[in-house]
Amino acid sequence: MASVSLAPGRARAGLRLMRLLPVAVVLVLIALLPQAGLYYVRLADDVLIYILLGMGLNLVIGYAGLLDLGFVAFYAVGAYTYALLASPQFGIHWPFLVILPIGAALAACFGILLGIPVLPLRGDYLAIVTLGFGEIIRILLNNMNSVTGGPQGVMMIDTPKIAGLALVSPRGFYWLLLGLCVVIGVLVLRLERSILGKAWAAIREDQDAARGIGIDTVRVKLAAFAISAAIGGLAGVIFASFQRYVSPESFTFNESILIVLIIVIGGVGNILGVITGAVALIVLPEVLRGVAQYRMMAFGFTLAALIVLRPQGLVPRSFGPARLMRWLFAA
Amino acid sequence: MSFVFSHVTKRFGSVVAIDDVSMRFEPGLIYAMIGPNGAGKSTLVNMAAGSYSVTAGSILLDDQPLQHLKKHQIAQAGVARTYQNIRLFDQMTVLDNLEVALAAADLRHTWREVLAPGYARQAATRRRQVCLQYLREFDLDDAADAHAELLPYGRQRMLEIARALVAGPRVLLLDEPAAGLNSAETESLKHRLLRLRRPDRVMIVIEHDMELVMSLSDRIYVLHHGALLFGGTPHEVQANRDVQEAYLGTDDDLDAIHELARNRRAGRRLRDETGAVRHPA
Repeated sequence: MASVSLAPGRARAGLRLMRLLPVAVVLVLIALLPQAGLYYVRLADDVLIYILLGMGLNLVIGYAGLLDLGFVAFYAVGAYTYALLASPQFGIHWPFLVILPIGAALAACFGILLGIPVLPLRGDYLAIVTLGFGEIIRILLNNMNSVTGGPQGVMMIDTPKIAGLALVSPRGFYWLLLGLCVVIGVLVLRLERSILGKAWAAIREDQDAARGIGIDTVRVKLAAFAISAAIGGLAGVIFASFQRYVSPESFTFNESILIVLIIVIGGVGNILGVITGAVALIVLPEVLRGVAQYRMMAFGFTLAALIVLRPQGLVPRSFGPARLMRWLFAA
Repeated sequence: MSFVFSHVTKRFGSVVAIDDVSMRFEPGLIYAMIGPNGAGKSTLVNMAAGSYSVTAGSILLDDQPLQHLKKHQIAQAGVARTYQNIRLFDQMTVLDNLEVALAAADLRHTWREVLAPGYARQAATRRRQVCLQYLREFDLDDAADAHAELLPYGRQRMLEIARALVAGPRVLLLDEPAAGLNSAETESLKHRLLRLRRPDRVMIVIEHDMELVMSLSDRIYVLHHGALLFGGTPHEVQANRDVQEAYLGTDDDLDAIHELARNRRAGRRLRDETGAVRHPA
């Protein structure tokens, strides 16, 4: 009898171990990644920046249900904030940790600036206006020669220092980005579960009914735009300090589309989806280097196939972090 | 407490949908608004809830005019409504559909919720307790974690009423709450609505089911072609010749009611409406 009742228990324990194994492997990989070659660390940095951007844009697209195609503008605002406040351009050399919140705050202001005119718009119209906004910011950066350096951009941007430690290698940025991703990830998750997250969901589902239960849709939408833009600004500050060079070319419409794709392919409204999407879309083109001149074609076909075969994204909205935790630990 | 329509007029272009209607609603009573389709019942509700602008006149809650407020401000002032066609947040859970109705009061503490886990737990528990109480009242507690769109039609109607109640409204506007319900559901709806009567709450129900109207309401306002035809107790309404002739009695209007009934799902309601004419209680 005893052995009969023990067996399922053992099987369960074994199953749990089987599930925890991949988690352990992933954690070890994350910890050991900086030991890998610089190429891989740089790639990981890229992935992390796009996770950050994806989490930011996901607030607007995934949670509040507003299709924003000009997100790159906030990335640019953050990047140029650091570029102008920590470079020989104006001879200003403020410390990185001071500019980081300034960049985020400035981007949030731009988020509200974009938010106000697009408040009554939805769907396609919203997409078109936000797209235009993204282009306006890029063209402004391109044409304001005296401030932004025009098409040449800003060069010789300062190396960021944190607590006296200069961040020079991609390895340093890896840890910085990883830490920031964790902090922002936790914040975004907590936002999603807060009453504001529920108000966003209500607006996504039925804006009029949301007003009918007393939700001030104007403020709630502006909050989404502002917080989302702030995260984009953070990513921009780090991007500029990492590249040590910014120009309008880095902030084209393509970049906005890539971030939207990360969200759509990964799974709208879900942090796990953003992470999956960023890994897939940044790593895939690198893997496809093997097929050289057909690389972008193969990339395009893969994306098209994914959208057709899995329109809900790689990770469905219902499989959020909470579900993952329960699945891992409550077997 | 008082809720008053004072000389309210609504024009859509050259069409006068509501023509100089004045009504007074006392707290603690259930009011029914009846009248054939196109009489302007829903238009009045839409104006009261801020979905439509008011062309002339005013709608006063405790002497505070509502007609210049935005829709969410009217809701925050204590006017809640349901819709003729159910409007739930389909992809949200049943519980979240109610919780989000508490957002107006809680949103200002969002940052505390995000940054202080203890406060967040406390706020979530408080909201959940309030909402679960309403879910129990409407027999929905077993479906708390289901997506609203998965509920059967009758339960969706109940959920919509529960959502309107969560924030503790002083004016509750129910736009055809019994539409599409079977007779058992209608009966239990009636008992629930009767329990919702509060000394500080005005309840206004638009309904075509005359049996329900007569047994549920304390006062009835009869609308006809955008004008107020008559107001009184169910007995007075049934005894009033004007009402019978203009709204219920004449052959022309009976035809109109038949037409109306054909467009509705339940043939049962046709019998109710005409039955109420032929056999005044």
